Amino acid sequence: MSLFDKFEPTAKLLQSLLEASPRDPFSVKMDEMKGPTRAIVEGQEIVLAGTNNYLGLTYDEGAVEAAVEAVKESGTGTTGSRFANGTYSAHRQLEEDLAKFLGYKYCMVFSTGYQANLGAISALATAPHDVILIDADCHACIYDGCQLSGAETIRFRHNDPESLDKRLSRLGPEVKGKLVCLEGMYSMFGDVAPVKEFVEVAHKHGAYVLLDEAHSFGVFGENGQGVCEAEGVRDQVDFYTGTFSKSLASIGGFVASNHPQLEYLRFSSRPYMFTASPSPSNIAAASAALKRISSDNSMRENLWKNAKRIHEAFTQLGFETCAPVGPVIAVKLANKEQAFMAWNVLMEHGVYVNLAIPPGTPNATSILRLSVSAAHTDDDLDIVVSAYTALSQILSKQAQEA
Amino acid sequence: MSGIQEDDDLVFHKICALLEPLNEKGVKMTRDTDIIADLEIDSVSLLDVVMDIEDNYDISIPVNTISEIKTIGELVDAIHEIKKEQS
Repeated sequence: MSLFDKFEPTAKLLQSLLEASPRDPFSVKMDEMKGPTRAIVEGQEIVLAGTNNYLGLTYDEGAVEAAVEAVKESGTGTTGSRFANGTYSAHRQLEEDLAKFLGYKYCMVFSTGYQANLGAISALATAPHDVILIDADCHACIYDGCQLSGAETIRFRHNDPESLDKRLSRLGPEVKGKLVCLEGMYSMFGDVAPVKEFVEVAHKHGAYVLLDEAHSFGVFGENGQGVCEAEGVRDQVDFYTGTFSKSLASIGGFVASNHPQLEYLRFSSRPYMFTASPSPSNIAAASAALKRISSDNSMRENLWKNAKRIHEAFTQLGFETCAPVGPVIAVKLANKEQAFMAWNVLMEHGVYVNLAIPPGTPNATSILRLSVSAAHTDDDLDIVVSAYTALSQILSKQAQEA
Repeated sequence: MSGIQEDDDLVFHKICALLEPLNEKGVKMTRDTDIIADLEIDSVSLLDVVMDIEDNYDISIPVNTISEIKTIGELVDAIHEIKKEQS
């Protein structure tokens, strides 16, 4: 029995799928970036339609300038953690700005969005008296946060407040703290949570709500505060987590709350304390992007206009989409093999989307996950639609032959 | 459902019935069958089957417990224990 035996089944599966695949979907290398929506891959210019660059701010002039300026003024890295040596005034300022933008009193900045969830969940809930309840489709970082916490973790059915209600009702009086974790918009299918109903159910049982708006921050709600704003319950969310690596076009993460005790996490959250803080340029870029989002709704409007166009086009082509119009537009394929083939067809036609297969997807589905950006031009979207048109022709031809 | 005293065998058969649609290779299921290794079911699909079991018996089975379970027999035993605790 070697350490590596356990990888064999997955390695074999991947190998057999790759044998029939001209390219490896999981090791695409961008040889040259040409902007927020274009890159050169193996000599071919492709449209990037799988990134999480929802507001398209990775090349925002203000953000680029601020990042360059920050490197010159504050250096390339902090070489310290938030807890010691690695908190500069810019880190604190961004915490204040995020809290203000979202309408919370307190905010903590982490080094990644992954660590924000890991750090919040593992510190808030502890074994043996606390219980964490998570939506079945929650992101890996929420599952990992539960594991790091060691607290008893119970899954409820995806986007099903009644299923949560049942599980909260079953808990005995020995349970002290209850933490409910869910997401605003789910990254794979792009479906949105009924946050208002979830908050009502959780609070009825005296549970706290942690809402991950990684993919919905900047995208949903009148001011871009996320799905909780759109649902009118922003002020009832106990812990709001988010990331800089999507709409904020940088890297880092945060937790915001109205509970003053959030500050306790600064000396009790291991993923906050025992890793280096975000570099000055990351912080500067996120701060500049936040400023832009606070004062300019045009990116959000563009994003939704683009999303509507793509969703309509795909529906007309006969694709089965996983959710209503939104920034993530995933289409279902029959199986892994067909999904690999379809992904290759799109690459040949100059479009890079994300291939996702079980167990990384809900309900054991194989999907092509496309995400729309505010920076996608009409040209970009024309290329996307024509690539999917070619794919739909191949699929219907194959269906006829079968 | 409550009131009916289900014996070990009935829980075993219920679990087999829920796993059957995922048992693509038609492996014969016993108490000693390793759910993930023998049936080639991925970890997430197993969690989804457990959710059906939870609703069927009106109990909650923590993820922590599931991650320690390897065989069908262990799952049957865990369900009996939780049913006792939560009833």
